[in-house]
Parts: sequence; structure tokens; C-alpha cells
Amino acid sequence: MDLEHEPLPYLMWLREGWWIWPLTLGLLALGALVISFLIGSLLHGPGRAGDSIYKAIVGSFTDLLRTSPRRVWAIARLSIQESLRRWVLAGLVVFGVVLAFALWFLNADEIDPGTLYLDFVLTATAWLVLPMSVFLSAFSLPNDIKNHTIYTIVTKPVRSSEIVLGRIVGFAAVGTALLVVMGLFSYLFVVRALNHSHELVEADLTLIEAPAGTESALKEGRTTTDRGHFHRVTVDAEGNGATDVRQGHWHKITAEGSGPSQRYVLGPPEGQFHAREPVYGKLSFKNRAGEYTDKGINVGNEWTYRSYIDGGTQAAAIWKFNNVRKQDFNDVLPLEMTIRIFRTHKGNIEQGILGSYVLRNPNQNDPNKKRQSQPINFYAREFVIDQHEVKLNELHDDKGQPLDLWEDLVEDGQLELELQCLQSGQYFGMAQPDVYLLPREASFEANFAKGYLGIWLQMLLVTTFGVMWSTFLNGAVAMLATFATLAGGFFTQRMSELADGKLLGGGSIESLYRVVNQQSMVGDLDEGAGTTVIHVLDTINRAPMFMLSRVLPDFSSFSNVDYVSAGFNIPADVLLTQVTTAAAYIVPAFIFGFLSLKLREVAK
Amino acid sequence: MPELSTAPQSTRPPESAEVVVETRNLSKIYRDFWGRQKVRALKSLDLEVRRGEIFGLLGPNGSGKTTTIKLLLGLLFPTSGQALVFGKDATEVTKNERIGYLPEESYLYRFLNAEETLDFYGRLFDMPASVRRQRTAELIDLVKLNWAKRRQLKEYSKGMTRRIGLAQALINDPELIVLDEPTSGLDPIGTREIKDLILKLRSQGKTVLMCSHLLADVQDVCDRIAILHQGELKELGRVDSLLRVRDVTEIRTTALSDDAQAELRALVERHQGHVLSIDNPTTTLEDLFLSIVGEAEAHPGRRPRES
Repeated sequence: MDLEHEPLPYLMWLREGWWIWPLTLGLLALGALVISFLIGSLLHGPGRAGDSIYKAIVGSFTDLLRTSPRRVWAIARLSIQESLRRWVLAGLVVFGVVLAFALWFLNADEIDPGTLYLDFVLTATAWLVLPMSVFLSAFSLPNDIKNHTIYTIVTKPVRSSEIVLGRIVGFAAVGTALLVVMGLFSYLFVVRALNHSHELVEADLTLIEAPAGTESALKEGRTTTDRGHFHRVTVDAEGNGATDVRQGHWHKITAEGSGPSQRYVLGPPEGQFHAREPVYGKLSFKNRAGEYTDKGINVGNEWTYRSYIDGGTQAAAIWKFNNVRKQDFNDVLPLEMTIRIFRTHKGNIEQGILGSYVLRNPNQNDPNKKRQSQPINFYAREFVIDQHEVKLNELHDDKGQPLDLWEDLVEDGQLELELQCLQSGQYFGMAQPDVYLLPREASFEANFAKGYLGIWLQMLLVTTFGVMWSTFLNGAVAMLATFATLAGGFFTQRMSELADGKLLGGGSIESLYRVVNQQSMVGDLDEGAGTTVIHVLDTINRAPMFMLSRVLPDFSSFSNVDYVSAGFNIPADVLLTQVTTAAAYIVPAFIFGFLSLKLREVAK
Repeated sequence: MPELSTAPQSTRPPESAEVVVETRNLSKIYRDFWGRQKVRALKSLDLEVRRGEIFGLLGPNGSGKTTTIKLLLGLLFPTSGQALVFGKDATEVTKNERIGYLPEESYLYRFLNAEETLDFYGRLFDMPASVRRQRTAELIDLVKLNWAKRRQLKEYSKGMTRRIGLAQALINDPELIVLDEPTSGLDPIGTREIKDLILKLRSQGKTVLMCSHLLADVQDVCDRIAILHQGELKELGRVDSLLRVRDVTEIRTTALSDDAQAELRALVERHQGHVLSIDNPTTTLEDLFLSIVGEAEAHPGRRPRES
């Protein structure tokens, strides 16, 4: 899984950025007060404007403090009933149809079908639930105002806070119910769609040649090809065994019957759904001369996420792992790697590129502790997570002396792994998260649910913004505003780069000019008055871009699809950060919506 | 609705000096998007509605009746002046605990049935479930919708919708009931029942503020009225004193012979009076209709006028 920005520990994230929230809110509130006072002063004079603002502030606090859960739930129930009346359950039917058709175009023969299917169901759920949330939340209050049904609400002792909160809770409850049902459907869909088996008959097996003087009891062979793949198998004398790992899974083999009537039965695919809990290391490099550097070689790819080391030289990538604890491992050290390969010549395309790694004590300056394992060779395979297991009782140094991992190589919980490419003319590309230790895995089902938590937070944000916009805009405009918030929220990083002038091709006006004139993004524009005007306009344009990129929620940061589909456990730090970020937007959006409903006339 | 039809029509509690609704120099100007004045809907209205009276707001369409009610309920904000209910500003939410409001068109959620509707509004008053259940049953009984209490409101006729609208206005047993065109859309029987109910509510000590352009309805039930025209208060006072024609004397007797009538004319002329008419009085169409329907229900199959 590509992890360009490693998530910060929650408390560190909170400590570093906690002040941004009150500062932003304070500035926005101050701006709103000043504008309200100026408009009020123009219309009614400064005295009355000040008095009204004071009363509004005091009244708002009173309203918030006296919010009644029963009234909130009454409005929420009404919203749920209204949603059901508006055929929201049809969304489930649409989802069912989407899943049914998905079987036609999702290719189970892919190299990693689990990733594909999980990616699909999570993405499809999000893209179905989010627009539905927009429609539900953006039209409810405007419809109440348009149909005057709000007259019978606000003439009861109902506070604006209760109306806004009730609407948010009601639609969020509907969205939650939809997500739960969709989540269950999705899980069953993925599990059942990927379920398969292979056939194995005696004729496909051959005895493994045993050392002289011994009688072999093991047989090997291969299964039939199903779903675009087959497995190599090894079975014992009783006919029990297991397949190798293909397409991210393997099958257990059991024998039924005996003698000529013996048949082999392959169980369902196992190990295709993961929730890895990796221990990441800190990555550094050695150049071809064996000197330490921060980065490897850039092989020309524009995305500099991965650095490359050249094969057949002293170039190496070194990971330093922390918190390597004996109690987390048994007699093997599981590690996984996702290596990119850059070939300068084709070589044997069927075979991976040969590489090796050593485990070593990080304290290389102390001659007594300067120990490392013998090189462990492997063939790097691309686009899959390559699984390795270092058997600890087979660990030796390069002189053949046995090594104890915990005594000889791990120092204060730290362990180093140095990886090299052995074939000259070929390159290994890697980023920090590409090699990790894997002491344990979490429950896939729990991780799947956590993936849905990210969608749930997105739904909650969309619902809150929809209700907020609908407190002062009509239904259609509120819907557009909510969609704009959603769309803008998915591109905040892009907007931020645009505002900071980091994008190739200049600002939006310059880019448009280049598109119209079919100019490359790289070269400078010809100097002249036109270029000056374009640059001035882009500079002006950057201010709102900057503000929007800082104010809009980054919806993509709530997506956990990559974690779930790639089989990585979503860290608690990520979830806590997402929940806190969502709350940081929901609270002010609710307050803004409440105030705008309180301070507006609901009748005409 | 037997208890409504037999309700005492003139049982009145003693008049109170307590002011329940008050407007002070209340004005409302509607503006367009750019803040330009569009309509001056209400001009410096001064009103007082006292506890226990039925107060009617009268006026043609666009006179400012509904605007006044909306200002009193906090649905609109005044451009200038003050609207006070129970001594509190009209925008104060807590005043609504003592108010029941029936809007002009019974704006209710059409996907709810009668029971769900009343339960919903009961929740808005923070009523516990047992109280809501009891109150819902009483009110459905009161407005005679027992037979349709589980039907969605979208299947209701306009009259039925008015009835359930009235029931929701009474869910909290309010002290002040604000009725906007309460008899709109009702047949004569329904109209009579609503008018009887209004009188009954007054007899229970409640204050009723209603607006209507159906003059007969206002005349039948209101103690005091205010007549608005183009946003201005044109008349304010007790109905009986406003309607009294002081330069005409009315004598009502049982039927007199022609001779007796001639003698009466002579007597009036002897006292420098002028007889305008001596004739048999006519009833109102409403009374006629109600007596025919009542008779028809008592004696099915017989034409009442023939009996």
C-alpha cells in the first residue's frame, strides 16, 4: 500500500494543530459579528444592531443549553419517516443491482481479486450513500419552509438548535442504517464472489524424490485451473496438505477415502482477506559507493514517492525498526515487502529480479555488537505483497555461526534490515512503508467495519453540511452548495497546491490559457502585458483558493478504502484523527446552521 | 362531537384585565433581495388582547391580518415596534408552551396519520408518552376523527385536515389559541362545530385570537374585533357596541294583525318617528341549513320543510 504521508500519532497530531480550530472559528465568528453589526447599523442604527446581536448571542447560548433530547428525537423520527416516504430504501435496491452487475465486469482472475472486490464495494457504497445524503439533507428544511409545515413546528416550544440537530440526527440515522445494510451485503458479496475451489486428482500428483535410503511419503503436483489460476500442492502420505499461495490465497487439502477410491478435497480459499498490523521502519539509503544518503536514485518517474537503488553495486536500502519485541514473535520473523522494479534491460521477464537482505544489529560502531545475518536471497516480484518468513533457528552470520535474533541482532528493541538488488542494470524502487515486519494481524471483519466508519464520517459531514446550507438556501441551491462542498472537499489538496503556486502550468487562468493555446505545462509563458494580466489574475485567484482549501473538509482524508482493500489494519491513530476532524467540522456547521435558522424569518 | 354541539354558547368567565397579547407601534415592511421596500404590510399597530376573550382580526385580503399573527408567533420579525405575548417578546420560544396555533391551511405532514401527527406535536411539547397517548385519544375524539385516525393525512378531505389541524393546536391545552381562518374549508356543520368549540374554549378561560374574512363567523363568536385595511387599524372595539345602530329602534314581537301594525305605525308617527319597515323577519342561511340537516338526521326520508 502506498502511504505517502505516514499518519501522525493522534496525540502528536492534536498537540501540533489544536490551536488552528479555535483560531479559525474565532476569526470566522468575529467576521460574522462585524458584518452583522455593519448591516444592522445601516438598516436600524448601531444601537438596535448591537442590542439585537447581544440578544441573539445570549439567546443562542440559552437555546443550546436547553436543547431537549425528546424534541430532537421527535424531529429526527420525522426526518426518518420523511426519508422512507421519499423512497430512500430504493437506494438499497440500486446497490443490489450494482452488485449484481458488478459480477459481470469485476475480473476474479486478477492477480489480487480481493483488493479489486473490496475496493469496488467500498467505493460503490460511498458513491451511492453520499449523493443520497446530499438529496435528503438539502431538501428537507427548504421543503418545510416552502410547504409551510415549519409553521406548526416553530410555533411550538422548539428551538432552532433542536430542528437542525434533529434533522442531522434523523438523516444520519437513515444513512447509518443504509451503510449497515450495504456493509453486510458487501461483505457477503465479496466473500461469496471470491469463494471457489479447484480439483485435484491422483494423476496430477507425483512422488517427491527422497534422499537415498529413505522412502518418500510426500507428493507434489498442481490443481486444475479455475478463476484464471492454479495452485501447486504438496500432500503427505495421508493425503492431507496445502496449496501454495496464488492470488493472495491458499487452500487446505484433505483426503477422503483410501486406496484407489481416495479423492482429494480442496477447502475454500484462505488467507485472502487481511488486516495487517505492520511495524514500519525508518528508511535510509546507501549509494553505489556504499555511502549513506537520504534518497536513492530518481529513475525519471515524476512521482518521487519511491527512490531506487541500482543493482550489482553497494547501493542499499536500510530500514531501522523500533519496538521489535520478543513477545510479539514466535520462532519466525514475518516480513513483507512491496518492491518496484525498474529494468534497464528485459532479462528473464518471467522471473523476478534477484535481491538479498540481511538483518543486523543497528549498533554497527561497536565491534562487539557489529553482527549481521547471512544474506537471504529472494526474487522480487512486482505488484504483489511478497511474504517472507525468517526462521529464527536457522539464522547464521556470514561465517556460518548461529545467531540469536534477540541476543545478537536486536538492540534496545531496534533492528536493521539492509536490502540490495543483486542484478546489475536493474533497479529496486522502495518507499519507507514498502518493507515491514508483521508480528500480528487484526480481525478482517473489524477492519472492514472500520472502513465503513470512514464512509460513515463522510456521510455525517455531508448530512451536516446539507442541513446547514438548507437553513438559509432553497432546496436546489442548498443541494448544489452541498455537492460543491463535497466536490471541493475531495480536491482540497489540489486547491492548496494551486493556492501555494506549486502546480506545474501556473494558476487556473494560466492553465486555461495553456490549454486553449496548446502550450506545454513546463515552459514559461512569453513575457508581455497578457502574461502579466494572467499572473495578476492568478494571484488574486489564489486567495479564495487558499481560504477554501483551509476551510473545506478534506473528504479524501476520511477514506479508508486503501487500507481495507490492500489488507492493512486501519490504525487507531487514523480513526481518532478522522473522528476528531469530522467533529471539528460538524460542531461549527451545526452552530452556523442553528444560528442562520434562528436569525431568519421562516414565513414570507 | 356531541359535547361541542351542546356546548354553552354564552358561558363567559368574568372579564380579565390581564393582557395576553400586545402590540406596540408594530410595523412590518417586506423587502426584496436588495433590501428595497416592497410592501408595507403593517403600519404602527397598537392592540391589546385580554385574557379570556375572543378577539377577531378582520379585514380584506392583504390587510395585514396574517402578518400580524405571524409577527405575534415569531414567524416574522417586526421592522419596528414590539409584539408581546404573555409579556414576552414574540421571538421568545418559551412563550410557545402556552400557545396553540392553527395556520390557515393546516400545514401538516401528509405522510403521518392522525395519531402520529398528534404524537409528534406532543413530543415537541416534551410530553411523556403516557400523556401523549391520553391527549391524542381525547383530541381525536373531540374532533370526531376516530374512524380515520390511522389514515395518512394525504387521504383526508380539507375539512378533516382542518379538524386534525385544530387538534394539534390544542395538544398542549394552551392558554392562548391563535386561529387563522379557522372555518376555512369547512361545511356549515363543521363551521358551527368549530364556532361552538371556540366558545367552549372561552368558557374554559382560554383566550382566542382569530382572524377571518368570514364576517358572520367573527360576529358569531368574537367579543372584540379589530378591523384592518391596508395594514392600518381602522376600528377596534366590542362587537356588540360596534354593530349597534344607534339611530334605529328595533321592536320584535310575535306576529301582529294588520290593524295592530297600523296602530303601531300611528304611535311611532305620533312620536315623530318614521317606520322603516314592519315585516316578518328572516333567519340566516346558516340557521336554515342547520335546521334542515338536523331535521333530516332526526327523520330520515322525510322532507323537513313539508313537515
